[in-house]
Amino acid sequence: MMSRASFLVTLPLLAILSIGLVPLVTILAWSFWTWDPDTYWIKPDPSLAGYTAILAAGRWTVLLSTLHKAMLAAVLCLVAAYPLAYAIHFLAGRRMKLLLMAAITIPFFTSYLIRAFSWRLVLGRTGPVNTLLVDSDLVAEPLDWLLFSDFAVMVGLVASYMPFAAFPLLLAMRRVEPSFLAAAQDLGAGFWHIVRTILVPLTRSGLFAGFLFVFVMVVGSSTEVQMLGGAGASIVSVMVNDVMRVANFPLAFAISTVVLVVLFSLVLLGNWAFRLSRLFEDAAS
Amino acid sequence: MTRFEGSANLALIWTIAVVGLVVIYAPPFYLVAISLNPALQPGLPSLSDLSLIWYFKLASERGLLAALTQSALVAALTALIATGLSLLAALGHQELRQGRSAWFMTVILPMFVPGVIQGLALSVIFTRIGIKPSVLTVTAGHLLWAMPFAFIVILTSMSGVRRSWLLAAADLGAGWGRRFFDVTLPLILPGLISALLFAFLLSLNEFARAFYLVGRQNTLPIEMFGKMNSGANPTIYALSGAIFAVSILCVGLIVARQARLR
Repeated sequence: MMSRASFLVTLPLLAILSIGLVPLVTILAWSFWTWDPDTYWIKPDPSLAGYTAILAAGRWTVLLSTLHKAMLAAVLCLVAAYPLAYAIHFLAGRRMKLLLMAAITIPFFTSYLIRAFSWRLVLGRTGPVNTLLVDSDLVAEPLDWLLFSDFAVMVGLVASYMPFAAFPLLLAMRRVEPSFLAAAQDLGAGFWHIVRTILVPLTRSGLFAGFLFVFVMVVGSSTEVQMLGGAGASIVSVMVNDVMRVANFPLAFAISTVVLVVLFSLVLLGNWAFRLSRLFEDAAS
Repeated sequence: MTRFEGSANLALIWTIAVVGLVVIYAPPFYLVAISLNPALQPGLPSLSDLSLIWYFKLASERGLLAALTQSALVAALTALIATGLSLLAALGHQELRQGRSAWFMTVILPMFVPGVIQGLALSVIFTRIGIKPSVLTVTAGHLLWAMPFAFIVILTSMSGVRRSWLLAAADLGAGWGRRFFDVTLPLILPGLISALLFAFLLSLNEFARAFYLVGRQNTLPIEMFGKMNSGANPTIYALSGAIFAVSILCVGLIVARQARLR
């Protein structure tokens, strides 16, 4: 007889396999097929053409710049989110804590498209930032590099994905035993000394998870680059869209495979090293 | 009471925290503000000219309204299915002894799949096996994005169900089904409602996953993306503002409700 647990997980598992895993494994397999100009589709002749095409014509530079964007955004998000999580957990009073918790929860459920679009209005030539800079005589002319630039993309990415860093940090801080901090204080350690020798080591798993989440979300992002990037700006998801515009299936599948392999190895490695699932499960208990 | 951080460090911590929140919230609020400006050029309205004219103009935007209807339909379907599946997944998680973490990661992992890649993979499979793009194909694309969130929310609400209550019910002769309907379900009902709302909002606002899966009728984010890039008309600001405000309101209500329960 089937156990109750396996009975309960059957349907969700089927959904995850059929619309999650199976399509991804299929395009992984199809990435080794050959483009067939007769049918505008692919045929089952083994080929590495998709993969060699990644190496050509500046495509691998997009992969590199995606990794670079993801790392920079992850670091910036941690720098901003660590004090935020600290303030929420250690400093805020009851009401303030609630308000701040709501403030970092809401962005998960609002539109990334609308938020990226609103940066376009803020950073534009006639937008409030440029108006302020010109009116206060800090610059003579409106700055053109504020919008449609790598700067704008980075600002948009940090604004979009910072909550993904704040949440694991907050969960990690909740697990810090307050008496450790108090003991260090009694022994005369200053604030920065405590942060460096106690808080950061104890919140390591949160720092790692925060970095990983932002990294993964940025590697998969497209909206911020489409809305805020300059001419020729790209990121892997946008590159996949460009490749699909000319229906180059093997190349699109090959890029997807590379991205998926990188992301899943990172997440599974992180889970193995830092027990991410425990961090989450704490949140759920 | 003086805190051990020292006032300079406290000021630094709060400054960074506030700057972080301003970066997240100032632009969309600016967008909401200019949506109240009756002028055609985007800019902050003066307090005396606040107007809802662009919101009223939305009523005549056929394309946007059709897309909104489509998105609402997809979001409702996604919310119902994602919440149902996540409830089963969470109940299974409770029953599991071994493999709990593995099951947890299995449900969470799809969240990390880039939206464009997930959408593309699904759409080529659907095309190959002859499934026409429709509300259902878009829902399939949104489902695995909404499920991890719904799953975590439901698991959280299940932590409020004490083991001893279930054991007591079992001692009194209640079978698994009876225990679920009489003990667990009433206790996790608020969690299920939160999960429904969260999943609805995630689907309503999802852009990249739907891109390859929509048929003739676009979903709202895709329709809006097109309009935003072809000389945004102020009705776009109004619609963005309205969607943003509704999203904030829903999440705010859920968070406030949870705080009251604690």
